[in-house]
Amino acid sequence: MHPELQQSPRNILVFEKSNFMNEKSRHDLHVLKHYFNYKVSVFIPECGILPSELNDAISRFTKYYLVKDLPVHELLEEECLEKTVKKGRFYALSYNRRIDQDDVVAILPTGQMILSVNKDTYEQLGLEGKESQYTHKQPMRYVVTVDLTDKSMLPGSKRYNRVLWALKEKVPVKMDFLLARHSTEANEGGMLPSCLSQYHCRELQASISTQKLSSLPYPVLCSCDIRGEGYCEPHQFLEWLGAVTMEIDCNNDATSFMSTYSCPEQHNTLSQALLCSITGLLLPEDIQSLLEKLRSYFEQPKLTSWLSLVVHGFADSPVSWGMEEHGFHKGGENFYGFVVFGNQDYWLHMGTGANDGCPP
Amino acid sequence: MRQADQRQEPAAYERLVYKNASEYHYMKISLIFEKEGKRLEAAFFKQLIISALRDLYGEVGAAFPFDVLKFDEASLTAILRVYSSGLVKLWSALTLLGSYHNESCAVRVTQVSPFLLALSGNSRELVLN
Repeated sequence: MHPELQQSPRNILVFEKSNFMNEKSRHDLHVLKHYFNYKVSVFIPECGILPSELNDAISRFTKYYLVKDLPVHELLEEECLEKTVKKGRFYALSYNRRIDQDDVVAILPTGQMILSVNKDTYEQLGLEGKESQYTHKQPMRYVVTVDLTDKSMLPGSKRYNRVLWALKEKVPVKMDFLLARHSTEANEGGMLPSCLSQYHCRELQASISTQKLSSLPYPVLCSCDIRGEGYCEPHQFLEWLGAVTMEIDCNNDATSFMSTYSCPEQHNTLSQALLCSITGLLLPEDIQSLLEKLRSYFEQPKLTSWLSLVVHGFADSPVSWGMEEHGFHKGGENFYGFVVFGNQDYWLHMGTGANDGCPP
Repeated sequence: MRQADQRQEPAAYERLVYKNASEYHYMKISLIFEKEGKRLEAAFFKQLIISALRDLYGEVGAAFPFDVLKFDEASLTAILRVYSSGLVKLWSALTLLGSYHNESCAVRVTQVSPFLLALSGNSRELVLN
């Protein structure tokens, strides 16, 4: 049999163990640099009702906007730039666009605008960019990065005029966008600038669903054992967590016809557990606040010694962490998950697919 | 267990990188019949996939296990788990699957991932209209 038939797409899983109180712990960095998040799942063993502090943290998630048929050059107009990018922590991502076949535009909170475009669009735009890292022998995809905070992009400057002209006259790209801006000032955060109100806009709140699970087998975990020697191996733990999230039966026999999947060995049974899922354009700052609240869950004695927070990135985002290019090969997974232990130890899993670099 | 964790020293930093270490791949698929409203039991669904594999690769080539982790009879959607070495064969067999008991059908592969967890968060399912 041909060996090519046994190959599968590349995947990377990074597994870090540390303690939140460690001075050099990079947990904040990993959360804040993962800009475009689609879904957050919180799993709390031995819990029946979502604690009020967590409920408050989730209900305070920043609202986001869906703007339909927005010409990309509008985001570069001076008035819009002043009210969005220049104020900082502004996120924009094209909606309903697939990074493996369409043009995708994103604005990062650092002020960078990323255009991931196919060959035709790139040649027509005439802007300087580079080949995608994950393209064929004949480059089919290019990435153009424009630093909107750089002084060469000041309104009226040569480069600014060129970029604006390319997006307005040469290739007047229009797409649906998801926009949000994180602000700590009350009544100011998330408000859409007036320059965009002429387009069809909808304000949206992250959608939340809570599920109570019962009689669930769960693997025994030990915070010091990250290789899974004697306990649960990382891939098996993530598989179990995925099975729980998707309501997959974990009690099959090895001889069953349909499925032989069962909970990893060394397991107990949970009498109850809570699974809370939040979807939408979720900002890293809100996820960071949620993580802080989850850490303080253990300030009171609890029946469980751990809980889990999983964050899924957008499959069609042009970046995964920071400026690391992200693509869609057979899948667009770029997720991370914290397992928070009662003693403030944590595990961090970061998973990416074929068209991704190694997570930081 | 809880008290033992609290007495432990804070964990020292450690990092492991696993490349291509995922033993399994997971597929979210849906079976679409030409005639709407068709229902199928789980066992028949798995048997359909096994016979598609046999048709394409023969008895020996199709002799690898896969699991139907979840199956919804009403919508005919399923989550499959297969060893990574069997992904290409399973996927190609699903692609070429054309009929069930003389009724035309096709399999649509919605999502494939080496992580089951990633199947629960597919941003392409986000519908905001």
